[in-house]
Amino acid sequence: MSDPFSILGVGEDADDDQIKQRYLSLVRLFPPDREPERFQAYRAAYEALSDHRKRLETKVLGIRDGALGRIKSHLLAPSKPVCARASKTTVTALLIDGIDRACGQDGTA
Amino acid sequence: MCSLAAKASEVMGLGDFKEAIELLKRLVKQDPQPRWREMLADAYAGRARSLAAKGMFDEAETALNKTAAADGTVREPLLYVQCLAKRGQLGKAFQHAVKYIGTDKVPAASAARMAELTAALWLVAPVRVDAQADPGSELGQWAQSAAAAQQSLTAWVEGKPAHEIEPLLSRIPMRSAFRPLRLILKSLITAPTDPARARQLLDSIGHHSPFACWRDAIAAALPEDAQESPTNAATPSRAQTLFAAEVKGLPASESQLLAEFVKAERSGAAALTSFLTSHAAALPATEAKSACFNLLPRAPDRLRQVESTFGNLSEFERVRILALAAEAASDWELAEEQWCAAAKATERSADPDSRLMAGVIYRHVAGLAEKHPEIAGGDTSPSIDYLERSLRADPDHLPAVLKLIGLYRTEGQDKDWHRLAEDATQRFPQQSAILLQAVDSAIARKAYKKAVGFARRILAIDPINQAVRQRMIELQITHARRQARSKRADLAWKELAKAGEWERPDAPSGRLCVNQGLVAWELGNAADAEARLRRGVELAGGGVVGWFFASVEHARMKGGAASGAVLREELVRAQKSVAPAKEDILSAALAISDGEIAEARKEIAPLVFRIRGWLLQGARLAWSAGEIHPVCEMLRLAGAYDLLADYARLGLLRTPGDPTWKLYRIIARVKGCAERLSVREEDELMDLVEDAEAHEDFHTANRIERFLDSVPDFPKGTGSHSARRGPSAKGVGSIDGIEDRIISQLLATSLEETPPEMVERLVAKLGRERAIAEVLERLRRTPVGELFPAENIRRVAEEMVNTVCGQSSKSVV
Repeated sequence: MSDPFSILGVGEDADDDQIKQRYLSLVRLFPPDREPERFQAYRAAYEALSDHRKRLETKVLGIRDGALGRIKSHLLAPSKPVCARASKTTVTALLIDGIDRACGQDGTA
Repeated sequence: MCSLAAKASEVMGLGDFKEAIELLKRLVKQDPQPRWREMLADAYAGRARSLAAKGMFDEAETALNKTAAADGTVREPLLYVQCLAKRGQLGKAFQHAVKYIGTDKVPAASAARMAELTAALWLVAPVRVDAQADPGSELGQWAQSAAAAQQSLTAWVEGKPAHEIEPLLSRIPMRSAFRPLRLILKSLITAPTDPARARQLLDSIGHHSPFACWRDAIAAALPEDAQESPTNAATPSRAQTLFAAEVKGLPASESQLLAEFVKAERSGAAALTSFLTSHAAALPATEAKSACFNLLPRAPDRLRQVESTFGNLSEFERVRILALAAEAASDWELAEEQWCAAAKATERSADPDSRLMAGVIYRHVAGLAEKHPEIAGGDTSPSIDYLERSLRADPDHLPAVLKLIGLYRTEGQDKDWHRLAEDATQRFPQQSAILLQAVDSAIARKAYKKAVGFARRILAIDPINQAVRQRMIELQITHARRQARSKRADLAWKELAKAGEWERPDAPSGRLCVNQGLVAWELGNAADAEARLRRGVELAGGGVVGWFFASVEHARMKGGAASGAVLREELVRAQKSVAPAKEDILSAALAISDGEIAEARKEIAPLVFRIRGWLLQGARLAWSAGEIHPVCEMLRLAGAYDLLADYARLGLLRTPGDPTWKLYRIIARVKGCAERLSVREEDELMDLVEDAEAHEDFHTANRIERFLDSVPDFPKGTGSHSARRGPSAKGVGSIDGIEDRIISQLLATSLEETPPEMVERLVAKLGRERAIAEVLERLRRTPVGELFPAENIRRVAEEMVNTVCGQSSKSVV
């Protein structure tokens, strides 16, 4: 798992209660029947942070790449509105990525 | 022919499509009926599914090609299109997919996914769809939707305003396969004014849709609502990042930085660390620092660069990073060294969590030691050593305590096991898992009162704990069995009454009931005895399973002739009444544990023989190697090698390549004695180990290695069985004072010239004493024989002759 703190969107100093509240709110937003893969990711992240010892384990033994994601978001300037257009090449690349993902998801591929 | 079809259908049921294809090809050749061809196509489709699941798309496509009908359509069209797409043949994938529009050849379950995949493929590489298609036909309507989708997309890419795009979108029917595109474009033109609505529109695009990547890219680019949008679990792809940059219209400098970031990210951890350190001023300081620290384990050579940018790391952080880097490089010795340094650094730290952190580290190294023999640890087993260290740092970690108890037990460190179990009951007085270990420890020390005390404590915490009830019942039954064997049925009855106190009324024990019946018989209460016995048999599964189980209990108790006669009669009757099913045979095998068979092999072996016919019938059932293992193990332990040979032979007919069958065939031939392996068989087993390891089937590999290692007193863990190759290596280890390795070498060389068959002939011809002298002479003449003292060589010769004569080596030495 990349970074359970980042996946749940909690700080590294969050306590049991904060982590549990955050996890429950995410499960309400993304219930397992609607978003099973997201739910799995949140569940795994919660398991990794659910008690003090496990959090220490994550901190000592894990490599957390959440900061990289936040830097990327910073570079993408999330506050700016989506109003420009993308190129046809980019759209095609997104569709090819999507086809590749869809062809490898059903357990057959 | 029908038997070929039946066999093919059986192996298909077991998922062995390759074998099914071979059988069906033979069948079609003999009798080219359409139904066999259909079955062959099914087998090819199954084979394609299993190949695709392993990522072998080329091979899967080839297999599906064999199912093609005259019109070019195949079985599993979705899988076929997916295989082509996975291989990058998007145009060909579309050309194939379009054949199914307006047909009912795609199974309903995959029709929607096929339709969306076809639409996405067309948008990637639009080609002219059959111009002859009737506009009213399904294909004609699809072509109209596709044209509308293409126009809408082009309009959006070209920057047309929303009011011009809207009418084009309305021409894409909501029930068409292009619906996701309509929702995406609608979301994009809504985003500038109403991002929440834009996000909502995306919600109805499924996660498995080929449009999902695009959907995620838009979701990531939309302004975030802290409550609604948590960090996405997946890192955005290059296309998703570029899309976000383009639709946000980022200025050139920012785009440049983003482009460099994406490029560095693709180049690896070292490049990314360099990027972050060289652009630290333009990035949020805390995030850049944290990102660098977390990249260092993958790029430890950038440590200086990072320290010069962000300041020096603490001693603990530095060694932690080096330990993670060593793990990434699979340098386990260095990883161990660095982790130990990290644990020591935490012990020196003032952090309130320092001891817990040391515990975390030692537990981690203990886990690594299980997988990597390079990790040395201290004097004892490294896993035990590190777990002991972890408990010194963090004694309250329950899983570590349980794990260490388990390791002490398996390693035979009984004193440590008992001490830790006792201590743990003080530290975790309310943990039933710990108390259960204490029960086992007390039973092993024969401290029965203590065991009862711990068991009662468990039941006070957890009244339905079946494991402890079972343990106590077993304990009392063992006592009762001992009393019964000493002809003290009255005392045995009392023990069984005590066992009854541990029984839950809603979960009666079949074993207890059977034993009560058997003891009641000895007490002369035949009517009550028979009733109890019958009830026990029913509880144990009834039929052959139940009566076999009762017979085993009778044999272990050395019960009387009267009850024995009833059991024999009932067992025969049960075998005649119903043909065996796989479940019954498995239940019979699982009814007695390996330990019980080992303990009472002499008594149990004749009972297995008594149900021989029934078991033989069962050998013809379609067992998979996974299912059969407990049955074969029972047959092996009970010494029923002829039955084992039958099971293995029939198994090999069904699945010739399966290593499990080959192993049992060999075990049956050598009658469970690895010493009797021929060189060829030993080589075959070693090849099977290698094959199994190559296929990551470690269960089978370990099973074979355990069998190979079962040569008594042979030096274990040498990593190679070749050292003892030769017709036999009987009894060598019992000679004291000579290094095993040298003795093995001596025997390996000498036995090539003096195989057991020859020793046997010498004994028959010359008698024991002269045969020893003859073997001794032969051994002396071998190259290594000259190196050893005559006395040792003589003992080797005696061993060989005695083994052939069937005497125990110990008695001689």
